[in-house]
Amino acid sequence: MNRAALYQIAENWFEAQNWKPFAFQKQTWKAFLQGKNGLLNAPTGSGKTYALWFPIILNYIKQVDEGKIKKQSGLKAIWITPLRALSTEIKQAAERVITDLGVPMTVGIRTGDTSTTERTQQKNKMPDLLITTPESLQLLLGSKNYAQTFAKCTAIVIDEWHELLGSKRGVQMELALSRLKSITQDMRIWGISATIGNLELAQEVLLGKETDAFKNSVLIKANLPKKITVKSILPKKMETYPWRGHMGLHLLDEVVQIIRKSKTTLLFTNTRSQCEIWFQTLLDHYPEFAGEIAMHHGSIAKETRIWVENAIKNEELKLVVCTSSLDLGVDFAPVETIIQVGGPKGVARFLQRAGRSGHQPGKESVIYFLATHAMELIEASALKKAAAETIVEDRIPYLNCYDVLIQYLNTLAVADGFYPNEIFKEIKQTFCYQNISDAEWLWVLNFITKGSQSLQAYDEFKKVEIEANGLFKINNKRIAIQHRMQIGTIVSDAVLNVKFLSGGYIGSIEEWFASKLQRGDTFIFAGRKLEFHSIKNMIVLVKLANGKKESKSVSWMGGRMTFSAQMSELLRQELYKVNQELLTPELKALQPVFERQQKESIIPNDNQLLIESFKTREGYHTIFYPFEGRFVHEALASLLSYRISLLSPISFSLAYNDYGFELLSDQILDLEALFDNNLLSTSHLHDDLQSSLNATEMARRKFRDIAVIAGLVFTGRPGQPVKTKHLQSGSQLLFEVFRDYEPDNLLLRQAYIETFEHQLEEGRLIQALERINNQEIVVKRCEKPTPFSFPIITDRLREKLSSETLAERIAKMTASYLKV
Amino acid sequence: MNITIKKQVFMLHPFGSLYWKDKNILLISDLHLGKISHFRKNGLAIPNSAIPKNFEKLNELLDVYQPQKIIFLGDLFHSTLNSEWHYFDNWIQSISQKIILIEGNHDIVAKHHYENLHVEVLESLQIDDFLLTHHPVATETSFNFCGHIHPRVVLTGLGKQYLKIPCYFRKPNQLILPAFGEFTGNYTLKPTPNDKVYVLTPKEVIEVNLV
Repeated sequence: MNRAALYQIAENWFEAQNWKPFAFQKQTWKAFLQGKNGLLNAPTGSGKTYALWFPIILNYIKQVDEGKIKKQSGLKAIWITPLRALSTEIKQAAERVITDLGVPMTVGIRTGDTSTTERTQQKNKMPDLLITTPESLQLLLGSKNYAQTFAKCTAIVIDEWHELLGSKRGVQMELALSRLKSITQDMRIWGISATIGNLELAQEVLLGKETDAFKNSVLIKANLPKKITVKSILPKKMETYPWRGHMGLHLLDEVVQIIRKSKTTLLFTNTRSQCEIWFQTLLDHYPEFAGEIAMHHGSIAKETRIWVENAIKNEELKLVVCTSSLDLGVDFAPVETIIQVGGPKGVARFLQRAGRSGHQPGKESVIYFLATHAMELIEASALKKAAAETIVEDRIPYLNCYDVLIQYLNTLAVADGFYPNEIFKEIKQTFCYQNISDAEWLWVLNFITKGSQSLQAYDEFKKVEIEANGLFKINNKRIAIQHRMQIGTIVSDAVLNVKFLSGGYIGSIEEWFASKLQRGDTFIFAGRKLEFHSIKNMIVLVKLANGKKESKSVSWMGGRMTFSAQMSELLRQELYKVNQELLTPELKALQPVFERQQKESIIPNDNQLLIESFKTREGYHTIFYPFEGRFVHEALASLLSYRISLLSPISFSLAYNDYGFELLSDQILDLEALFDNNLLSTSHLHDDLQSSLNATEMARRKFRDIAVIAGLVFTGRPGQPVKTKHLQSGSQLLFEVFRDYEPDNLLLRQAYIETFEHQLEEGRLIQALERINNQEIVVKRCEKPTPFSFPIITDRLREKLSSETLAERIAKMTASYLKV
Repeated sequence: MNITIKKQVFMLHPFGSLYWKDKNILLISDLHLGKISHFRKNGLAIPNSAIPKNFEKLNELLDVYQPQKIIFLGDLFHSTLNSEWHYFDNWIQSISQKIILIEGNHDIVAKHHYENLHVEVLESLQIDDFLLTHHPVATETSFNFCGHIHPRVVLTGLGKQYLKIPCYFRKPNQLILPAFGEFTGNYTLKPTPNDKVYVLTPKEVIEVNLV
């Protein structure tokens, strides 16, 4: 069958649906059938699924027609999705085409939610089309005879590649692809990505730097115009707008008016606790919503989540309060309105959420922005501009992740074992490990076989064994099981399942929260008021609580997000407008706050760096306002406090947000010395940053995640935590033992490099310092905290840095008595 | 730093040991030998160069105090027997002191292994007015020396300063020793007005101000 005949099959099908294929869909079919790899840039809801399912199925029809393959001969294509929740929808799309065309193909899903029975059945006989996650794919690479499973695979599609790209899950995919390229004969690799700033790089990371796969690839852009309208929710009276806080409940009534006007609304919050509190407050104040509103976040039981997703599709819900758990994929046609509570921090995320409404090609998307505190309204103003100018961010891929590599090698060793020379050639072709040296590779091999130590008497380290023929293999059953349980690169705090005493699974909460509960305490979780009974066999047992009892809300740790460089730039532009007369509605609404700020201090122009200092009961505060985003401020605060601490012994507590940062101390800060010594200069920047990193705990926190991924910590599986008490160790302890006894360990080095490149963003820091050095420094000594400073000084998530001796510090400190 | 309890003088060391001057006894708690090897045996590559450190510290204390007897207040060995026993064996051969182990919850190595090394294993030990145990016990008549808790305190100060730091925790009738071993964790205790807290710094032991 020739290509024209194949296209005709697809076009006929579209015609039967009363649709017309988009240009990008046809381009993708053509490129795929020509045997090309590629990256498809298309938004959700644009028909991207059909752009790739069709050529996969057409290729199958062609091969059967040409007698190249027999029907029922195993796995033909893999579809990778980062979110399990999306798999059903992708399956339905594929099955629809298969049924209509009468092709005898089967479609299967394999994720963490798939039952053991089904997984065993799949192992015996793989479906033709397999929909799975990056983690489940790794697990397949970790099973016996995996090469045979994949041998006949003709395509792998990595959906939402932009989501994976800037994370270690992306690295995990790079490694899996490097292996699949070797064990298949005729496999096309396709990525699907939303619009990001660096699509060309995304294509290169997907296919491997300078590889044949990359040379034989295309980048196809859908270029579908999408109109997005951003509206801010403003109160009638601005005077009462809170200066700090992150809930936004003061606008509850205004939100309800919006909800009432719309068929279905999604209300996005940034954290799971915020989600719980919004849901509960809505029900408390508007009990008539009961039954019409629901909640959706990652810690709620899967059954409940699926129920909510279906209820949205069936137009049974007026409102869903949710987190990023509903960011991606699933096509919710009935959703008309989106509300974002609190700053989304990134343009891409915000636009993606906006796109959840009017989720059909050509339809307009409406998103309301609710600023939780006054300063966030500036963000709203900036986001409007971003939407209008379609500004998008880059996703920065990881380099040299030794942790993910170690996990991958252990996975291969668990399966059939591996020969290092063969694998080294493959990983050198990936983007992540393009520069790995022979010495580093040897270190990694040494780490998995000998526990990184050179000859030491009596060592009993056991993991990967080297067999007589040079095969690297894990033979110990217990270690193999342990490794399989821990495959994955998303590190979360230990979680415990929550169950009713009478039975019935509700979801999971973090262990540290559970450990604070005492019998009789009530807490709100999954939209219900629960009374804590006990923890038994690592399960939190609860019963429904008396409705009137006072209760806590479950909190989750979770990292804080930062502004992207693009967002910071937009924000500064907006802020600097305040001194001119070109005010947007948001900035106009902020007038009372700005007046207050101007009374106590100033609002800086683009040629000014504002520094405020004042004293409170807590000590001496010095606040800097570079408006460069949280991560740059984190780096600046560490750098500056480190340089100051070299002048004389002093201890600091550091806090930061997206607008500025604070150095808090028990001593007055000599600002003159700061300028005299040129402490904001870019010289010796790298070394000073490195030293400040040693003095703070940033790298320490990164190391914990790296240690978990590399298998240095035994965590068990989420919801099935460690039972082997003797194998537990605190993350602090782990970091210290490596720092003191194995400072050259590559994983430890990686913690520092990651802090530099992904958190401190040295490049952005240099740019920021250069900008600051061209600014006039305005020091304001204030009587009391200013509106600008308020969200920063009240932040409890802090870093510390000290150049005083331990004894000096202890002398100034006290331990407070237990309140009896 | 020296403290006096029931007219007896005890010397506290930054390593976390307690030296009973009149009796010439060195008390040490929660060494958790074998922990690193236990991890390594299970495929977790904790640096094994940290193992000799415990014995270097012990030898330094023997030099400083020249005790006649060493009493371990439990959790001497972290788990089942492993290769670190060799280090312990070698160390015992190299010293002349009498050694007593008060059994802790982690001490699951069979008694005869200790007996072979002439280490006496007891559930608890009464010496004059002092009761030595692993777990803290409430006693009316004696003063209790114990371990098990791995105590630390949280100190706070102006400018949102805070420190978490391992300590000796002294109640009216009890002294809980800090954990001696490398690679052992800590547990935060909060003092009451009747307690005293002595924290460990690299060079000295310091009594903490309580408010």
